[in-house]
Amino acid sequence: MVKIDSKIRFRDALENDTDSLTDLVVRLKRLNEEFDSMLKVRDDIREQARTYVSKAIKDKNCIVLVVESEGKVIGLLKADLRERFFNEPATEGRIIEFYIMPEFRKHEVGTELMRLALDKMKHKGVKIVSAEFPSQNKISVEFYAKQGFRPITNIHAKML
Amino acid sequence: MPKKKDRTALLYGLAMRYSKFYGGKISVMPNVPIRSLDDFSIWYTPGVAAVSRAIEKDHDLSFELTSRWNTIAIVSDGTRVLGLGNVGPEAAMPVMEGKAMIFKYLGGVNAVPITVGVHDQQEIFNTVKALEPAFGGFNLEDIESPKCFFLLDSLRKEVKVPVWHDDQQGTAGATLAGLFSAIKLTGRKAADTKIVFLGTGAANIATVRILTSAGFEAGNIIMVDSSGILEPEREDMDELSLHNPWKYDIAIKTNAERVKGGLEEALNGADVLVAASKPGPSTFPKEYIKGMNRNSIVFALANPVPEIWPWEAKEMGARIVATGRSDFPNQVNNSIIFPSLFRGALDCRASTITDEMIVAASSELAKYAHDNGANDDHIIPTMQDWDVYPKVAAAVAMKAVEQRIARHSMSSKKFHDRAKAIMDASKSMVSTLIKNKLIKMPPS
Repeated sequence: MVKIDSKIRFRDALENDTDSLTDLVVRLKRLNEEFDSMLKVRDDIREQARTYVSKAIKDKNCIVLVVESEGKVIGLLKADLRERFFNEPATEGRIIEFYIMPEFRKHEVGTELMRLALDKMKHKGVKIVSAEFPSQNKISVEFYAKQGFRPITNIHAKML
Repeated sequence: MPKKKDRTALLYGLAMRYSKFYGGKISVMPNVPIRSLDDFSIWYTPGVAAVSRAIEKDHDLSFELTSRWNTIAIVSDGTRVLGLGNVGPEAAMPVMEGKAMIFKYLGGVNAVPITVGVHDQQEIFNTVKALEPAFGGFNLEDIESPKCFFLLDSLRKEVKVPVWHDDQQGTAGATLAGLFSAIKLTGRKAADTKIVFLGTGAANIATVRILTSAGFEAGNIIMVDSSGILEPEREDMDELSLHNPWKYDIAIKTNAERVKGGLEEALNGADVLVAASKPGPSTFPKEYIKGMNRNSIVFALANPVPEIWPWEAKEMGARIVATGRSDFPNQVNNSIIFPSLFRGALDCRASTITDEMIVAASSELAKYAHDNGANDDHIIPTMQDWDVYPKVAAAVAMKAVEQRIARHSMSSKKFHDRAKAIMDASKSMVSTLIKNKLIKMPPS
């Protein structure tokens, strides 16, 4: 059992987390941009992120968990619950956003956040979980591999 | 400063003329008597075969039977030369030759300049690793950041002889020596001293790393760069984590109070400013110094013009000011560190140069200054303090022995006397060659 700092708390996102979560989503998208020019962020990233976060917090088909330290939001995990039209099992949890503030990394906070998210998904009937992240992000590749994930589809892109 | 400009122009002119006249600053000299050509059969074939066979059986003997014990390589790719920038390996050669000359004259170390035509960090690593059998140590020089961090860290792990990056460790060691002395003069304790670093280049990042091995608290340190105060919530942290993990790591560890803003906010309540950023004058408003604590210490290390003139810093309340210049008091200069540090590391056959060995060198320099009447305008020894070099070499060697990374162990006095003999012989050799006109006087 991993021992997490007692100041760290995990909980569901609330509407008043919107500002903090918007910041984290913007940070995550800017981090993704570092890996591939095709992930360049839009100029209106902040407005877009705010709209996206507001919708996700209210959406019953989304799981949005936050991590806080001494009352400050320092991490998030957002997953979408999806129907798989052709495959079994049919209900999939897709982790779309996963971000921990730099100074809280390497302290097992991400691992615990993932564990809680998977628990939550199981309760909602999810039987398969997947994750989206930039192909060049080797830290994520290693993290998910350590958690038992393996690649099942590839998305390739080119600019036109 | 017209006078300064005239002097610089004069020195440029002389350097060009003399370089042409002498065709470079260093050469390789036999170390053995050649009484007649018959001696070649001892020093070369067939005699040398016995020496080769012995070393083939025991590679360590290369430190006893060849000049490897006292020979290092100065390796540069020429990507960050002095104040010149990325001038390339050919243009870096005069600088590396100069460094080799200083190594020999002050430290008695045979240093071979090797400027490499590769720039990829892994290729430079492979080159240095491939050169290991020929050298007793490596001095990395004028290699751009963050490549220099990768090379120092990875080579220190992989290579079994001392590896040193002077722009990082030399500057850090000299700065630390000045800091040890200045905090003593102002009645401070290392653990309580609040230090602000302006500039996050190789020198300052290395200095922060060394300071934390020397009793200073990382949490009491604030680093400031062109984007402001470095702190874990800064927006470029993820970018740093990918492209400059050394700076990222420091951002996580320093600034415990999570101060945000710029240099002005950082200096508020600080004891020390170490600036190694853009050359001045007026790199920042001098009034910022007013926000520092009483008896503040300012190291303005940019060359050729410090970030703030010493008299301006004092006018704003600083008590001790150091710069990188020899024409002002308190010159923070790598040349008082690297020759003697390598002398000590080679004499004890250290397998590496640890941070603790650098701290030992800095402590010895500060001690020497205080034993010889340190004051606000004389916090560290100058290059003319000949006695200090063997003392530093002995302190470094003794630290290596204590850390069990030395292959030779002797008393401190013996290390000192050996270093002094080698250093004295080196200076004597130059004066003898001059006296015998084998080193000619420059043309008038």
